[in-house]
Amino acid sequence: MLQDYLIPETVEQALSHLQGGKGRARVVAGGTDLLLDLANGKKEAGVLVDLTRIPGLQEITLEDDLIRLGAAVTHNQVAKSKLIQEKASVLARAARSVGSLQIRNTATVVGNVVNAQPAADAAVALVALGAVAEVVSPSGKEYIPVEKLYAGVGKSVLDSTSQIVTRIQFPALLKNQGSAYERLEQRKALALPMLNVAVVVSLADNRFQWARIVMAPVGPGPVRATEAEAILTGADVSLGNIENAAAAARAQANPRSSALRGSREYRLEVLPVLVRRALEAAVVRAGGNC
Amino acid sequence: MKNYNVVGQSVRRLDAAEKATGTAVFSSDFTLPGMLYGKVLRSPYAHARIVSIDTTEAEKLPGVKAVVTYKNTPREIFNTSATMTFTVPALKPVLDQYIFDSVVRYVGDEVAAVAAVSEKLAEEALKLIKVEYEELPAVFDPLEAMKPEAPDIHANCKEGKNIIGEIIKIPMGDVEKGFKECDLVIEKRFKLPIVKQVQMETQAAVAQVEVNGKITVWSTTQTPHPTRMILAKIFGVPNSKIRVLNPPYVGGGFGVRIGLSAKAEPIAVALAMQAGKPVRVIYSREEDFMASDTRHGGYVTVKLGAKKDGTFHALDLKAALNGGAYCSFSTETPGVLGAMGLAVYRIPNQSYYGHSVYTNVTPAGAMRGFGNPQAMFPIESVVDMMAEELGMDPLELRLKNIMRAGDPWCLPYPCQSTGLAECIERGAKSIGWERRGSLNQPGAKKLRGIGVGVGTHVSNSWPFCVDYDNAIVTVQQDGSIHLASGVPDIGTGTSTALPQLAAEVLGVGLEEVSLTFGDTLSTPFDIGSHASRTLYAAGTAVVAAAEDAKRQILEYAADFLKVSPERLEIKDSLIYITGRELGEDCAGTGVCKTGEERISVTLQELAYHAHLRNKQFIGVGRIVPENAPPWHAHFAEVEVDTETGQVKVIRVAAAHDVGKAINPVIVEGQIEGGVLQGVGYAVSEEIVHDAKGRPLHNSLHKYLLPTAEDIPEIDAIIVEASDPSGPFGAKGVGETGLVPTAGAIANAVYNATGVRFYEIPMTEEKVFRALSAAKNSTC
Amino acid sequence: MSSKILTFTLNGETIRVVVEPTDMLADVLRDKLNLIGVKKGCGQGECGACTVIMNGDAVTSCIIPALKAEGAVVETIEGIGGPGKYHPLQESFMDLGAIQCGFCTPGMIMSAKALLDKNEQPTREEIREAISGNICRCTGYVKIEKAVSTAAEKIREGK
Repeated sequence: MLQDYLIPETVEQALSHLQGGKGRARVVAGGTDLLLDLANGKKEAGVLVDLTRIPGLQEITLEDDLIRLGAAVTHNQVAKSKLIQEKASVLARAARSVGSLQIRNTATVVGNVVNAQPAADAAVALVALGAVAEVVSPSGKEYIPVEKLYAGVGKSVLDSTSQIVTRIQFPALLKNQGSAYERLEQRKALALPMLNVAVVVSLADNRFQWARIVMAPVGPGPVRATEAEAILTGADVSLGNIENAAAAARAQANPRSSALRGSREYRLEVLPVLVRRALEAAVVRAGGNC
Repeated sequence: MKNYNVVGQSVRRLDAAEKATGTAVFSSDFTLPGMLYGKVLRSPYAHARIVSIDTTEAEKLPGVKAVVTYKNTPREIFNTSATMTFTVPALKPVLDQYIFDSVVRYVGDEVAAVAAVSEKLAEEALKLIKVEYEELPAVFDPLEAMKPEAPDIHANCKEGKNIIGEIIKIPMGDVEKGFKECDLVIEKRFKLPIVKQVQMETQAAVAQVEVNGKITVWSTTQTPHPTRMILAKIFGVPNSKIRVLNPPYVGGGFGVRIGLSAKAEPIAVALAMQAGKPVRVIYSREEDFMASDTRHGGYVTVKLGAKKDGTFHALDLKAALNGGAYCSFSTETPGVLGAMGLAVYRIPNQSYYGHSVYTNVTPAGAMRGFGNPQAMFPIESVVDMMAEELGMDPLELRLKNIMRAGDPWCLPYPCQSTGLAECIERGAKSIGWERRGSLNQPGAKKLRGIGVGVGTHVSNSWPFCVDYDNAIVTVQQDGSIHLASGVPDIGTGTSTALPQLAAEVLGVGLEEVSLTFGDTLSTPFDIGSHASRTLYAAGTAVVAAAEDAKRQILEYAADFLKVSPERLEIKDSLIYITGRELGEDCAGTGVCKTGEERISVTLQELAYHAHLRNKQFIGVGRIVPENAPPWHAHFAEVEVDTETGQVKVIRVAAAHDVGKAINPVIVEGQIEGGVLQGVGYAVSEEIVHDAKGRPLHNSLHKYLLPTAEDIPEIDAIIVEASDPSGPFGAKGVGETGLVPTAGAIANAVYNATGVRFYEIPMTEEKVFRALSAAKNSTC
Repeated sequence: MSSKILTFTLNGETIRVVVEPTDMLADVLRDKLNLIGVKKGCGQGECGACTVIMNGDAVTSCIIPALKAEGAVVETIEGIGGPGKYHPLQESFMDLGAIQCGFCTPGMIMSAKALLDKNEQPTREEIREAISGNICRCTGYVKIEKAVSTAAEKIREGK
């Protein structure tokens, strides 16, 4: 049963609250998932340590081509940020597609990652952007790629009773780079995705320098379509190559059947369509053409 | 057309200010001193016998004031719906449930309830109740439940295995002979989903039992008077000792509480009786989903025969609906399905055979349209198929066959009006019907299509059940008007439109009229808000009461003005002698004189004059309404993403013959809301159960009703083919918006893709599979 | 359980109220501060009936821990206007038929207000986004959308 709700003013204070809780204290930011999980007994906590008032953590910054999002940055902040729309549009679109505006006003992007749901929209986009999480614990600070944060469905490698993700950072996209987000959804708001795909491409002379293609929910966390990425690396920008990549992405996906959000077979059949659409859109944004 | 002063005006709703400021009180807001909080323990099994139930630990928890189970509550059998109070003899209502029973028949069925000093404590106490169940075989599909090997869910089925109540049969002409005389016959079976009303306020009731035995219940019911009758029967208390009322607002209904609000009322009363304190029971959203009436899903078969020239000649309709674990409106719904399905087209040979079947899912009951949407998606799909077979334009085929005023039909009241042809014409114009067939470029992956669906409905519930109305108009001592009607306002605008009717009849401004409604103590009996009847039927009683009061006023005024009452009229609360010019000298004074002779008197002066002479004008309206058919034609434009199967509804033109729009903006609102529910019915909404009978779509996140970001453009078109039976010519409009929508959308999807759907909702996966199958079969 | 005193600004007034760590803001507003305009339709942040404006943003107060509101500025339907000084949104909701059962209305108006407070010239898409978390089952949203855009016009004209 929840005994206390603390609002620290510094990361150090937050860490010390966690330490004082001896495993019963837990980090919270927006709390849109956590509070419901606590209410229905899916998770347990004696003390919640709210990070959202710590100065600096509400900001989105650009420094040396590196975009940094603080732990208190909400989905709506990201969706509406001119900086993100221009230099990481995939994330703006992904963040815009979560829940409803009220949820986006409350739920944080970092929370979306730490909560480790397989189809977490922002996390899928962040993996495509090659984002890295800044993790602080009593033993110090470390940087872990978002891609490596998943330990299973709904399970993060992070321990929210002792570790804090203070920021997430990723390189701003350059002029020759483009990104796109595709989401198969049953309605336009208040719906988890049946499928979501985030891609980032880097072009030179209408060739793919590289591509990052991330898809979900086709595994425990966001899944890189590495085979598809390999097909595109160094390849001409062409519909044929894109189709091949899309097919390769499908071969690497392992979705489950959901009684609520589509069978495995259906998801597998539509996945390449989304990959293709995302790649086509990303190419256009990177100044290429098919 | 006659000019009215108040009727036909889109006046601001009289409840608007309270609702816009957050001061409007709903049942879930209602509190009483010392009030306790009730919570319900529900069955985790679809079908089980309760072997033992031990409540001692729960009772011991400090703060717990009452624990009730089947062992300490009345063993009076009932039906949660109002049907048990207004089924017309010789039919008998199906009574098959208790507040609690020793057998549970669906996941969510009531096992026990607790009242405690806080909601959290009540929840904690529920966890301390120990129940041992013996699981029984369960069945979830109506066709499966009719098989001999299926478990018997109730012992009272006389007409067949698990068949609820009686089978409805509607014969007309000779349907067998009729089909033999047809050139073309199409027969198809359709599958319909279980969907939910999802009214915004969940089921709720607050019960108070006084020491003298009087019971007061504030609740979300759509039918305070029938609900009082049900509670009186369950608890063995005279009707006169129970008061049921809305507080006064109800957060939507759409049929989900015609009668009890699921079991919120009896559970609150049972807890309040035991605790000796008021108890409030509010269903959580999950409880509302799993344990309050759904729409009937099931199977409908349409067999339509036509002559070569397109004349419909025979129609056979069959329905087997999923009634769920207990009977709510499970005999009436298939009745309306058949009656409405047979009433749209002039067909000399028709028959209907339909019924509901017990299964181990949430009971199905009334939901907006009441069987009619289940009829019209199949029928309008088959009519479209017939048009294609005949090589006729779907509009032309419909216009050729639709019912006309005075035509014979299966219903026991005459068709006295229809504006359906005008609805079709205006809807077609709005959607741009002529664009049909030239909407898509070759090779396009996203395909557009346009489709139509038409239908009719009722304006009240007669002759399907008891339906009579009373209203009282009391002229106050200052000439202002008090109106009392037993209907509630579940959001449909009753509490504005009924005063509009009274004001119009009495010749007073709307601001002079106040209304008491939704309360058994202070209003006369009325069967409540359902069946699109509130304005039509309760309105007829209001008009009668107002006319009665007006007659008394004019008779008194005739003496006062020394003229015969026939020469008097009332306008703006001024009673004046007609056929004479009002002298300029009377402007604004309220007392008009021409020389020595008075030619008018204000209602204010007259009422006070009467008061001083021990007289008050009290009009009583006691009516048995007739019935009248509202008509409608919906046109939908859709876009189908052939690569994903997603159907997007772009636009719906919804033309409705409402007889007379008493308040046009309210009428449009009814149409628009109904259309969007119809869009959900067509493409996204359904409740699916897992193999254990657990409902999977049990939250607003999972249940896919449309949000503001999913809405098509909706053009609500009002057509007014006045019906002589309705107040000022009005007919029902409360339900019609969702009746033809799914059919129109399915026909539009066919127009876009060439693929016909025999099942809704047309979800992306279903559409994707059907498109793939069609592609594979052609190449 | 450790009760705490929550201090925040509610409809322009400083409020101090004793709350439990498990209390949600909606429950404190409804049950302890008697603001019944904060409706509860689901308790899971999925219907929007409990929407309030917290520090300028629309949020579903049923999933906000009450203690999170410490020091915050919170507005509810009760604080935005009333007889004689209705907010333009209240006026347009009343005049244009945007209200039916009324259960979603307060939350709907608060979501719309949060939008118009920042954006007096919203597009149709922006209006729809702003109310996408407010479920209305009565109106089909048609007249609500119209009421919000009309209120925006009124606000612009009023300046």
